[in-house]
Amino acid sequence: MSESKDPRQTFGEALVEVGAKYSNTVAISADSSGGSGMTPFKEKFPDRHLEFGIMEQGVIGFASGLATTGKIPFVVAIAPFVTARPFEMFRNDLGYMRQNVKVVGRCAGISYSDLGPTHQSLDDVALTRTIPGVTVLNPGDPVEIKKVVHAAADITGPCYIKIGKEKMPVLFEEDYPFELGKGVMVRDGKDVTVIATGTLFSKAHTAAWELAKEGIDVRLIDIHTLKPFDKDIVLKAANETGKIVTVEEHYLAGGLGSIVCETLACEGVFAKVKMIGIDDQFASNGPYEDLLGLYGMQPEQIRKTVKELLG
Amino acid sequence: MLTPQETKNLEKTTQQVRKNVLREIKAGRMGHIGGALSIAEIITVLYFRIMNIDPKKPGMCDRDRFVLSAGHKCLALYAVLAERGFFDHAVLDTYGSLGSKLPGHPDMHKLPGIESNTGALGHGLSIAGGMAMGLKMDGLGSKVYVIMGDGELAEGSNWEAASASSHHKLDNMLVFVDRNRLQISGRTVAVMSYEPLEERWRSFGWGTRVIDGHDIGAIVKSAEEFPFEKGKPSVVIANTIKSKGISFAEGRVDFHYWKANEEEIRQAQEDFAVIDRRLEE
Repeated sequence: MSESKDPRQTFGEALVEVGAKYSNTVAISADSSGGSGMTPFKEKFPDRHLEFGIMEQGVIGFASGLATTGKIPFVVAIAPFVTARPFEMFRNDLGYMRQNVKVVGRCAGISYSDLGPTHQSLDDVALTRTIPGVTVLNPGDPVEIKKVVHAAADITGPCYIKIGKEKMPVLFEEDYPFELGKGVMVRDGKDVTVIATGTLFSKAHTAAWELAKEGIDVRLIDIHTLKPFDKDIVLKAANETGKIVTVEEHYLAGGLGSIVCETLACEGVFAKVKMIGIDDQFASNGPYEDLLGLYGMQPEQIRKTVKELLG
Repeated sequence: MLTPQETKNLEKTTQQVRKNVLREIKAGRMGHIGGALSIAEIITVLYFRIMNIDPKKPGMCDRDRFVLSAGHKCLALYAVLAERGFFDHAVLDTYGSLGSKLPGHPDMHKLPGIESNTGALGHGLSIAGGMAMGLKMDGLGSKVYVIMGDGELAEGSNWEAASASSHHKLDNMLVFVDRNRLQISGRTVAVMSYEPLEERWRSFGWGTRVIDGHDIGAIVKSAEEFPFEKGKPSVVIANTIKSKGISFAEGRVDFHYWKANEEEIRQAQEDFAVIDRRLEE
């Protein structure tokens, strides 16, 4: 396995780079700075680090107001506390007001595995993608985390960036072709397509190469931008492989699997689809890797699902 | 300090704003009249005496900002913006029509001069606080003015914003609480008490003042003297009368939202004509 990096530390490094690039970048903490990797930003740009305490509704409005004066606020905290809790503020103050605020939900999915459903975030993509004009990003490795943070800062408008907690293996080269709103075909293949996003991209990556060793020609696609969504890469995969497995650390409702199925149905393209994610339940608690195993998200389980689809 | 003539002029402009509100109601046949009329003096004083704004340059960076946290009172905002020259009065006649630039809660992308999209209660103070913070960071002397409803104070998010505004010493922000004492279900303190209101704000670290919200001199004095305490945000608790100026609607909860008929509009116009004559004396 390649080198692994802490996603929050990686985000923090990217934020410092963005802060150096844009002097109007401000970091907003809801008593969440250290745990979000923002300590280096705070040390380097103390005047641009704004602390609000555990004020998870109010910070979104403050960020909106700051953005009206030309700032680029990054609001960063545990994912449910910047999405589900202040959803109306996100929708109205950022989305409806079209403010240039970047919301980062860290320790997303079930990565706060031991802390239980209050701290897990399996609906953040579903929630944020309903808000008109919001760009929804879910990077699949540390290199991609840096790419999406820079991309979010480079565009004008509200963004949601989802990152996990556990170390992520480095899978991309620094200079791999990254384009906002475009999926990445990591491996071409003709038998079946695995489409993965975020923290589970590495699991799908392992599964794909193991399947290849078994002689199954898997196409592997990484989706770092869930909105705007790259329909073309999915339709092409459906047309060329006819079978798709989606993989995400999210509810089946409203996430990557939903988006893929909506895309296929609306475009009238048929493919057999299996969705890996969490169905209609609050997740359990326990060690992270065990929890992923409980929901069929480990590489060997992804392999099994792919084989079932192939019949 | 106002001269008698300045006071008279502001009274006349306030009356024109009230007439603009009625014009909107006449166009749309319904709307949140009560709060729009209770804030008429405050919003007129801000736009015609206090704020550094230029209708020809609505986006100038050192302008003062106004946030109508109680967005449902927007008939008064549209009325004052038209009167101040941000857009033509004819726009007021589109209220209630399909795709109008005057939705029932303000949209900053539809008209010049609107600084935020409010309507869901308990959002405005945080947005205004962010504006005040950003203006301070830029070293601008601009001020941020806010009007809140008293019923709105039951929203907990306001108190998050109140804490943060005092913690960050946002003394460039002045809030008016439109204490008309009524909300849709009845008397505000009976629905959800906010008393002791002044002490509550003071305990959150704000400088406070209580005035008659229809007294133009008192509004001007407060706005010209803030911050009331150095390093603290300021709040004026303005005692007002809901639907002020329309005799049959004043102080009545059922005129929070008015579905107007022809006879009521005619009666309201007569009430305003009486006020006009008094102001001409």
